[in-house]
Amino acid sequence: MAAAIETQKLTKSYKSKQLGIVNVVDNLDLYVEEGEIFGFLGPNGAGKTTTIKMLLGIIYPTSGEGYVLGKEIGDMDVHKIISYLPERPYYYEHMTGTELLRFYDSLFGNNDPAKVQRLLERVNLAADATKTISQYSKGMQQRVGLAQSLLNDPKLLFLDEPTGGLDPIAHTEIRDLILNFREEGRTVFISSHELSEVERICDRVAIIHRGVIRRQGKLTELLKGGRVEVEAEGITKEFEDSIKIEGAIISLKDGRLIVDMPEEADVNSLLDGIRSSKGSVTSVIPRRKRLEDLFVETVRDSSRVSMAEGGVEA
Amino acid sequence: MKQIIAIAGTTIGEAIRRKVLLVILLVGLVFLIVAPSLGALSARSETTILRATMLGIIQLTSAVIAIVLTVYMIPNEIERRTIYTILSKPVQRWQFLLGKYLGAVGALALMMLFMTIVMIAVFTGMQNGDFGRAVTLAQATMMFFVQMSLLAAVAVCFSTFVTPLVNFFLSGGIYLAGSLFAPMFDSLSKQQNTSQFSKTVTWAMTTFLPNFSYYNVQNPLINPSSTIQNPMSHYLFATGYGLMYISLLLFIGHYMFDHREV
Repeated sequence: MAAAIETQKLTKSYKSKQLGIVNVVDNLDLYVEEGEIFGFLGPNGAGKTTTIKMLLGIIYPTSGEGYVLGKEIGDMDVHKIISYLPERPYYYEHMTGTELLRFYDSLFGNNDPAKVQRLLERVNLAADATKTISQYSKGMQQRVGLAQSLLNDPKLLFLDEPTGGLDPIAHTEIRDLILNFREEGRTVFISSHELSEVERICDRVAIIHRGVIRRQGKLTELLKGGRVEVEAEGITKEFEDSIKIEGAIISLKDGRLIVDMPEEADVNSLLDGIRSSKGSVTSVIPRRKRLEDLFVETVRDSSRVSMAEGGVEA
Repeated sequence: MKQIIAIAGTTIGEAIRRKVLLVILLVGLVFLIVAPSLGALSARSETTILRATMLGIIQLTSAVIAIVLTVYMIPNEIERRTIYTILSKPVQRWQFLLGKYLGAVGALALMMLFMTIVMIAVFTGMQNGDFGRAVTLAQATMMFFVQMSLLAAVAVCFSTFVTPLVNFFLSGGIYLAGSLFAPMFDSLSKQQNTSQFSKTVTWAMTTFLPNFSYYNVQNPLINPSSTIQNPMSHYLFATGYGLMYISLLLFIGHYMFDHREV
């Protein structure tokens, strides 16, 4: 797979009166494959939006290199095939949905009313196309934002908090649109706090804290390490002693067995053993590691390291 | 070019809906309409006073509109994040800045045109239908338009690196200095008993600050005994001077904007 985004030691520093030179983004090595949905996660002030702005060429890196769709960041040719939906965007309120899309279309040097109409239909705004943006709800504004980000049929979309502050219905609509983007072969780079949403739709994620990437990889690999809890009744002490599962926590009381085991262990063998010893399985509960757990664990670890190094807790 | 036109068009659309600008315009229009009654307060010729008052109202109103319109233009785009969706498209920063400036000038032109039409209508009404004399006043408003375009360029240039409040006073100050003090500095530098220091200051001020007094051509229109020698060449020179300064200011503005984090 080719890289849609690749950065090497990308750094952005600012001068602060109190702290001197502060690296808002510090030696960022990011790799996003073409055609994937990539989640870029981090607490507030972690450097997510700064990274996106650097990748878009809106602000300039202090050092390091970055490539978007094979071209150096800031290359104007890339802007013809990428798009951006900022966090809590504001659109010219006096314009109607149609006028707004035609305005953005003209920024690509185009004037295609049929395409504008198609996009409004795609984001379910055709019926509200003649309403002004000031009459749009938050969800409608986010949908018109997504429509403007599709005007140039982009290969890569940067979405900054695309579902932030939306109601559950709007949430679902935006999520479905994003999933459609992947089916169409587009790369989607999402910066978000909505961890359950990211977990549902992203292929790979990176967690950034204090400008440094702390974790990066496939979600399936990063979320390894979940557990399964098996509960059974009518179990003898002999059977309990025969259980040999690495990393398992086993308890037996009044014939009631509880085995808390790593998810990669062989659950079926244990279930077969229970049945053959005349015991009965009462429940099997998989306790998958959640992205939220990984996120909190990563940020806490990172904070602890910073504190140990004499840093200041955010 | 399409990008610049699109940004300029949107800027005009937004500007003509800004309530603060419409209120300033409305105040100007009200003063233009009541201007004939002010003539009664003066001992001078009623027509002279009417011309001077109307042109003064248009100039002052246009200057306030030009500054208020432009000082918030770039900072607002950054604060509202509209600039991000625009600059993430194939739009260069200079195209954005030029589009915003041209949009501001376009909105200014519409508002000044409206005031000029009202002025001509009121003046024609007061002069028993002498439309020809009323139209001559429009010459002055055309020069005011170049003057206000220059003032807008000053404010757009500053808006790329100072806050709107500072810009308001800075641009207003430069306009006042360029309008009132440039002729004064000019005569001061020609006097024999002026100190070298004053002459140097005078030279620096008249050289580096745009001379807004070139566009104050209302005197011959107000007072027939005052004339401009070869008006056409004066108008051409003043327009060329304005365009040169506008280009320079936009170039400086672009340089600052291009090196700025948004």
